[in-house]
Amino acid sequence: MKTTATVTFLLLAAALTARAQSMPGPSAPKSTTLAITGGKLLTVSHGVIENGTLLIIDGKIAAVGMAGKVVVPRDAVVVDARGLTVYPGLIDPDSTLGLTEVGSDQNSNDLAEPSDEIMPHMHIADAFHAETELIPVARLNGVTNAVVAPGTDDSVAGQDIFIQLAGANRDAMILGRDVALAMNYGAEQRRRGGRGGGKSEFPSTRMGLITQLRQSLLDAQHYEVSRDAAEKKTPDKASEKGDKADKSDKPFERDLKLEALLPYLHGERPVVVGVYEGYDVETFMRVAAEFHLKVILNHVTRSQEILDEIAAWKVPVIVGPIYEMPRANERFDAVYTLPAELAKRGVKIAISSAEAGGPGGAHSVRNLPYAAGFAAAYGLPYDEALKSITLNVAEIFGFGDRLGSLDVGKTANVVLANGDPLDVRTEVKQVYIAGVAQPMVSRQTRLRDEYSK
Amino acid sequence: MRFHRVSAHLLVGIFSSASVLASAQTATPASVPDLVIKNATVMTASHGTLEHGAVWVHAGKIAAVSAQGASTGAPASAVVVDASGKWLTPGIIDPHSHSALSSDVNEATSPVTPSMMMIDAFDNRDKALYQALAGGVTTELLLHGSANMIGGQAVVIKNKFGLSRDAMLFPNAPRSIKFASGENPKRVYGSRNQLPSTRMGNFEVMRQSFENAKSYMAGWDAYNAKVAKGDKAATAPKVDLKLEALADVLRGKLYVQIHCYRADEFLTEEAIAHEYGYKIRAFHHALEMYKVAGQIAPENTAIATFSDWWGFKDEAWDAIPWNAVMSMRKGVRVALKSDSNDHIRRLNSEAGKMVRYGGATEEEAIRMVTLNPAWIIGVDDRVGSIDVGKDADLVVWNVDPLSTYARAEKVYIDGDLFFDSAAAGFGTPHFTGVMHDGGGFGSDDETAEDGD
Repeated sequence: MKTTATVTFLLLAAALTARAQSMPGPSAPKSTTLAITGGKLLTVSHGVIENGTLLIIDGKIAAVGMAGKVVVPRDAVVVDARGLTVYPGLIDPDSTLGLTEVGSDQNSNDLAEPSDEIMPHMHIADAFHAETELIPVARLNGVTNAVVAPGTDDSVAGQDIFIQLAGANRDAMILGRDVALAMNYGAEQRRRGGRGGGKSEFPSTRMGLITQLRQSLLDAQHYEVSRDAAEKKTPDKASEKGDKADKSDKPFERDLKLEALLPYLHGERPVVVGVYEGYDVETFMRVAAEFHLKVILNHVTRSQEILDEIAAWKVPVIVGPIYEMPRANERFDAVYTLPAELAKRGVKIAISSAEAGGPGGAHSVRNLPYAAGFAAAYGLPYDEALKSITLNVAEIFGFGDRLGSLDVGKTANVVLANGDPLDVRTEVKQVYIAGVAQPMVSRQTRLRDEYSK
Repeated sequence: MRFHRVSAHLLVGIFSSASVLASAQTATPASVPDLVIKNATVMTASHGTLEHGAVWVHAGKIAAVSAQGASTGAPASAVVVDASGKWLTPGIIDPHSHSALSSDVNEATSPVTPSMMMIDAFDNRDKALYQALAGGVTTELLLHGSANMIGGQAVVIKNKFGLSRDAMLFPNAPRSIKFASGENPKRVYGSRNQLPSTRMGNFEVMRQSFENAKSYMAGWDAYNAKVAKGDKAATAPKVDLKLEALADVLRGKLYVQIHCYRADEFLTEEAIAHEYGYKIRAFHHALEMYKVAGQIAPENTAIATFSDWWGFKDEAWDAIPWNAVMSMRKGVRVALKSDSNDHIRRLNSEAGKMVRYGGATEEEAIRMVTLNPAWIIGVDDRVGSIDVGKDADLVVWNVDPLSTYARAEKVYIDGDLFFDSAAAGFGTPHFTGVMHDGGGFGSDDETAEDGD
């Protein structure tokens, strides 16, 4: 084990070096211009451009168009993309990248705090391990950005981050902290086996879960009123009232848990609620309406009977895993067709890398495009499929002005591949993040190369 | 038909009598008309891809295969399916499944349980079978889990969803037994402070088991010798189901299928197999085979591996998606498998990933989910490719089956249509009624007592 750890460390060090070398450091040239020419551009926002030119200046997209319509500056580094498909970096709306390394090794996992069900003050930014070996693996298949969300043990599990899959360190990789509140509702969160084992505890039913959630949201509203009242009484003013008043006024004690709920009660940021069954979706949406939460639905894989209702709520949906198995006595494609059915009803959908069963999770982020492709196999229009892992995700999480399509002014997260990005047979040739060519290596390519000698 | 039942195999093992064996119920009814599937792109898995190909099915078998629109010689009475623009492959074969075992995957109460018969847990109405069928899967090896160093004996099924349990058994398939190694046995028994809790313990449990089996066999040999000499007073040793099964391993009557991840453990397993004189049919999972493929290839041991799973446990940390193709190039026979009720539904596109990871040709890739798993199960003479004389287990796909966009449209087993995506309801001509929900994801670790 010791030997393994040493080897791992050395490889990790190598990975860090590679990453550091790939990023613009203090010695990097102040201005770089890159022209990707001759490729088939899938812009996502405005169609396909055969034989297109993409101009990148200082990490941003400076021009997109047909060859001949885009002037390539004399100092540009030209990348010949003839025969390749060029598309925006893929964005995973629901991952645990940086929260896990080896699935079965608890020491390498920081997924959730199951000691309580209401944990809005858990900030994923505090656990995100930027140097994880999983990120280069995902990046090699064209995933350039991701939402990192906690595990699903709790009703309110914590606050998500939005990352890019490259950067000198954690701070450079986190593009947004606390971008959304991760919530869950359904059978899984019941404390039937206690908190991490043992006898059943409250809340052991759906009634318990919802009552506890409602009480917590009410507590947060009450807390805000008390806090605001306390803030009006400044210490100076209190002292003017004399000694007697001073003694009765204890200093206001902040409650980080309740405080963490406030931006979401104000509707300033979205909550992402993981919920599967149709009746659970309806229950949760009643609470959401009571408290004016800005909702993003996640999963809904067993809600086929309420799709029109979901469409009427006008909330975005991270639909899937598309590989979730239908219930007994449902048709085999009851879940495969869900993305298409939702999109048909005008719902803005995103698709995540989450898988049903198997290892899934962060190790499978590289398979994100295949989930979207599978949705296309079962009726989702191709353009919608590509959007569901690029522009739609960016827009849902507030990065639509910066990411998700090949448009002038956006961050140059660009992927070059030898074919259709959604097909399993396609090989990604080069990934750019913020205009920087990423090293196309991972711990896995190094093992491959070592044993290919 | 040799039923995979304890009673049947014991009788064979001890008395060498075939007269008591049950007979098969799997004959295709004579009423099934001849079938011709024509104008398809036929991926034979054995001799290339045929454009505008046609296949004639007679009495459940492939009677002729033709290319470039040529006639198959089928009679005019044959039912003709025009598959213009579509692909035709052999049925997909999964050499590692725990589907439809009533959540009874692991008898995790002892590290050595070779007399467990998976057929005793097989639920022929489990929804997982239907969902796999809709993904083109026609044959499955249903294995014991990996909690035990020496687990139970597998059952081989044809996915004729809707027929009776016994009609779904693969006729005369060889018997297989599941072994395991590495983290699972040592975790399951170590967590109870029992042997084994280390890899040293794991392998010693195996060696001791085979020593016990040798003593048992010697006891029977001595008795049989006395009987042969006419000794009427000779007393027969006790029939021990567990030792009898282990003896069958040493007699070469069971295909040994070993759950094994690490390179060093492949070498140890082969060394123990040599020491006790049995062959290893396949390593399952085998995520580090790329490290020692050159050494394993001469053993003629195949692998049944994942396409790209990794990192879910320590012994999967060095897994790379190039494993299958790198091992194949070194001469190892490679199959992909599911170990999952989810992935079993799309083994075709899992094979497609091998085009991307290492540059498998389309034929090499499709063979990983057809002919090669058929060899692992020992039924490659009857299924796994589109060749004259083989069982007509066929799948019609909307597009190239190796692509993300592939959907199985029609699935035939023994020439009979068992799934038709265009049909209303479940699309299952032979199934009506209520499916069972087996629960779980059908993976190796499932229902091992310490969780999943």
